Amino acid sequence: MSLYKVFFLCVASFLLLTDLNAQSLQAISDIQKARVELGRYLFYNADLSINGTMSCATCHEQKRGFADGNTMHPGALGDPAKRNVPGLANVGSFKNLTWANNQLNNLAQHALIPIRGTEPVEMGMNGYEDEIAKRLEPSSCYQELFRSAFPKREGAINLDTITLALETFQKTLISNNSLYDQTQKKKISLPTQEARSGEKLFFTKAKCASCHPAPLFSDDSFHYVAQKDSINVNSVEDNGLFDVTNDSRDKNFFRTPSLRNVTLSAPYWHNGSAKTLQEAIVKHSVILDNDLTAQEIEDLIAFLETLTDNSFVRNAHFSKPSKRCQ
Amino acid sequence: MRFILYIFLIASTLMAQQVDKTVPLDAWKTLSYVNAAKNADELPNALLTLNHASYVGLHNTPKVNYISVPTNEGGTVSYGGMFQIHIQASGTYRVALANTSWIDMIQNAKVAKSIAHQGGPKGSGIKKMVDYKLEAGEYTLQLSAGADSTTALMIVKLD
Repeated sequence: MSLYKVFFLCVASFLLLTDLNAQSLQAISDIQKARVELGRYLFYNADLSINGTMSCATCHEQKRGFADGNTMHPGALGDPAKRNVPGLANVGSFKNLTWANNQLNNLAQHALIPIRGTEPVEMGMNGYEDEIAKRLEPSSCYQELFRSAFPKREGAINLDTITLALETFQKTLISNNSLYDQTQKKKISLPTQEARSGEKLFFTKAKCASCHPAPLFSDDSFHYVAQKDSINVNSVEDNGLFDVTNDSRDKNFFRTPSLRNVTLSAPYWHNGSAKTLQEAIVKHSVILDNDLTAQEIEDLIAFLETLTDNSFVRNAHFSKPSKRCQ
Repeated sequence: MRFILYIFLIASTLMAQQVDKTVPLDAWKTLSYVNAAKNADELPNALLTLNHASYVGLHNTPKVNYISVPTNEGGTVSYGGMFQIHIQASGTYRVALANTSWIDMIQNAKVAKSIAHQGGPKGSGIKKMVDYKLEAGEYTLQLSAGADSTTALMIVKLD
């Protein structure tokens, strides 16, 4: 074989492999996109609850940073809740999911907590998991969405594919365009004196950043919460991480919540016992021993306001799909 | 079944303790039946009367063509429907409901923003109360994501 032919074959093989690789990557990308789209539809679909009254979005409202405006949100059948609804901004970056659980490895597993969990009962599908597929299967729209999202599984509609799609959608819920982020990127200061003072306090004297470090504004770790409030007599008993590990050292340990979009998600604390940001900050003083003046608390709130990401809470890609899937 | 529900609602409301005396919820004790509209054409037959409680019939969600996509749309096994109400004077209005369906109050394709929400007085049979500041005019009240095919509903003027 001439050197010319060898060279030609090498180039042709390289181009073919490159093209195959590109096609393969494109196919993966298309599947990921389809899973995000399916996950988005499912996130807003109340057929994931026993009586069709509750979707993920019922408690995770986009306008509130995918948190909830209630102290605690009762389940689909009226069962009392255990904790305040946490926001979902950047949830894909957390290794510890929910308020107090170190044994959930991924968001697909995490989706099963509200869908079929029993302590507390949220969407109430425990024992009725197959019912979800029965509700979705008659829909040609859902059949098409599942086929596009899971071609190798021939569009199977089951709890596995449902939770995988929910996971893929939730991983797109990235919030990184708040005023704080913008000023960080441009390497400029926050626009108001109060916010600048609050920023300084946040990262120094007030010790907020010791548990709420940027960029997640959470250290994704568990911390002891000093006072155990029992503000809601109807709520389920809550011992924090202990309820999962059964290790007495974990009693009243809770994961640090992210502070992104925090001004949109009142009330606060794992049990929703702090109605305002001011109350939430004051509650920390017991733990941190960082007595703050009224002005310092106001400054901290001014800084926390700069963590609101309006492009996140208005992002149409995260909103309820405008077209009904029937 | 409907008769039993009537009895239950009337009995529970008669025994109710009125916690908030400023709220005119007395009308909750008298119910008249209204069937919800499934589409815009049926709305004129689904009229609610201000300060009067209605025992309302709802429809399986897939059968309802809402005039505005509900904020929280129920699944295929849930119930919902639409009603029309004439608001004569601007003011604060309260929608009281015997279940926890999602409520959207709509005028000219715009969803009114609620100003407060809470549960009903203990023992009243009211599960949910949502307040709105409304201008005078015609409104469509949409119920969605309800667990029951019937419920009781009332709109009262607060101020």
